[in-house]
Amino acid sequence: MTSAPPDIYSQADLLVASYERAGYARVAPAILQPAEPFLDLAGEDMRRHMYLLADSAGHELCLRPDLTIPVARDYLAAAAARPAGLCYLGAVFRDRGPGSGEFLQAGIESFGRADTAAADAEVLSLGLEATAHYGITDPSVLSGDVSLFAALIAALGLAPAWKRRLLKDFNRKATLADDLQRLALTPVNGRPEHQGVLAALADANPKAAHALVTDLLSIAGISAVGGRTIGEIADRFVEQAELGASNALPGETRALIERFLAVAGTPDDAVAALRALADDAAISLDPALDLFESRTGFLAASGVDVTRIRFETRFGRGVDYYTGFVFELHDRQGRADGQLVAGGRYDALLTRLGSARPVPAVGLAVWIERLAALGGASGNASGGRP
Amino acid sequence: MSAFVLAVPAKGRLQENTERFFARAGLELVKPRGVRDYRGAIARLDGVEVAFLSASEITQQLAAGAVHFGITGEDLVREMIPSADTRVALIDGLGFGHANVVVAVPEAWIDVRNMADLDDVATSFRLRHDRRLRVATKYINLTRGFFSGHGIVDYRIVESAGATEGAPAAGTAELIVDITTTGTTLAANGLKVIEDGVMLRSQANLVASRAASWGKGELATAAVILDRIEAQARARRYKEVRTRFSGCNDTLLGLAKTKFGIATPFGGPTSSGMLTLHCPPDSVHGLAMFLREHGAESVIVADIEYVFTRDNPLYAKLEAAVRVSL
Repeated sequence: MTSAPPDIYSQADLLVASYERAGYARVAPAILQPAEPFLDLAGEDMRRHMYLLADSAGHELCLRPDLTIPVARDYLAAAAARPAGLCYLGAVFRDRGPGSGEFLQAGIESFGRADTAAADAEVLSLGLEATAHYGITDPSVLSGDVSLFAALIAALGLAPAWKRRLLKDFNRKATLADDLQRLALTPVNGRPEHQGVLAALADANPKAAHALVTDLLSIAGISAVGGRTIGEIADRFVEQAELGASNALPGETRALIERFLAVAGTPDDAVAALRALADDAAISLDPALDLFESRTGFLAASGVDVTRIRFETRFGRGVDYYTGFVFELHDRQGRADGQLVAGGRYDALLTRLGSARPVPAVGLAVWIERLAALGGASGNASGGRP
Repeated sequence: MSAFVLAVPAKGRLQENTERFFARAGLELVKPRGVRDYRGAIARLDGVEVAFLSASEITQQLAAGAVHFGITGEDLVREMIPSADTRVALIDGLGFGHANVVVAVPEAWIDVRNMADLDDVATSFRLRHDRRLRVATKYINLTRGFFSGHGIVDYRIVESAGATEGAPAAGTAELIVDITTTGTTLAANGLKVIEDGVMLRSQANLVASRAASWGKGELATAAVILDRIEAQARARRYKEVRTRFSGCNDTLLGLAKTKFGIATPFGGPTSSGMLTLHCPPDSVHGLAMFLREHGAESVIVADIEYVFTRDNPLYAKLEAAVRVSL
């Protein structure tokens, strides 16, 4: 099943058994997976960490680099319309340079629950149980909420091009700061070419402008090439015209975004700071903040000391299928090479895997070897080297 | 003593150009056991084994340290060898095998002029179509590095073995990354190169493997080869200009240096007023006018066969590269 030593495997098995007792059905997806969904959902940066192979018909396959996507695909393939809590234990394969590329992961996925805040809270408490299972009762908890940034950007009434760009770059912190700098200083697409057409279009009403560009393209005998339609090209061309030449991000907007991104602290402190920010800017972030507070309430109710949770508005997990709550549990002494447990909400994932209707989803993954290496068994591990 | 191995292309234009390049430097590649043999030697130079391989094999062998020198394209070096500069050193561009690796999109994309546009289009495409923009290419690593440098994440690479430029029309990709020399093939397929979308200006290079064994013997052999190559390359950069006139002085020479880019291999005029200058071919006539205006009766210009100098920048580059890895 896996090359992990038997005692490591059996201790992890006990953890997953506890997830089963909590109502999560155990699943075992195939190790060999089609590569496409991973590349499509996680992006090309994932490719260099994947073990890729091809079958005799030339289909691109891979050794699963994670279990969330395989579990979600199996869930959809079984045409299960019902909510489901699933758990797993198995190997994932990632090429990370020298050393073994095989890692043992346990995890849970919760599909279809409409009680968002309660489901988020439950997943984080199960994550804390995982570290406790290995004797780490007080890991550092880092959390964020991608939907807050989305709510802020939506409330600011920015041009569509900026919204897209800022949301895209939120997951890549290195470029977000650059972006803000650049957007504040220079026009997004300021350039001399086409200025005549763009200026003429800027004054036309959007519908007429769109029709004009579409007509021009068909007069030129251009039909859709490369998957983009003429309408799509015309849309964006007109959008650039509307942005005009002086399309720099207003200074106060930039300052507001930066103030937002600087908010950090306990969940209660953060929510207070964000409500104050929304009041000052005369915008409403209420639905997202209400959900946030409700989640904190559920966490407290399940016995989690919420003052030990560090929340940062700028914290994202670098994977763009997360849509809401995200978290990572780390060893406080920094002894592990990366997070011990990580998870979050990804409501868009199942749609992107082909589900006809949206399916709310939240889950976590446990890095078994990292926890086992910290050594502290909680005493309930059985087994041992034969 | 283990032999010094030089790997050269086994086929096509690249092979012809490579053989001509070495022949010009007085290094004649020979196949003593017949033309079908894939092992050869350099005439009148002992201790060198010439391996005739495909360009991608040469690149692999350089990375593995199985050959000392190889002739291959920079595009292959950058694509096939992870952190290429730690494994190989590009000693010299050879002036042939030119090709640019470019990002090309359908001409119909009138809203896309630069990489920032492409970034935005990639993101809106995913939001609109629920899938990523597909890029057909055989340059997977180069593309990934270049796109990530521009912050582009919403795309997928579709591996393409050949006829990449046909992929958008065939519907298997939205855009391509490919090599182009003149751009005509791209234009014929309704594609345009993005303004800042030239990823690499590639040409055939003399490449040294840093992982190969570099003992005294190998370095000595490399020094001979590089001495000849550099002497010939220097000879081609200049014409020899000889003249004799009394009015020549340092001020005049200084002026000629800045105006025509000349070199003075033997310093100023001899006691009898003889002057030897090395002048870039394009400036020869201008220099000849200039010298006569200042009193020269006649100016004689001749081709140069070799210029051997004490310093050799190519060998210095090799030494620096292999010393670190020794």
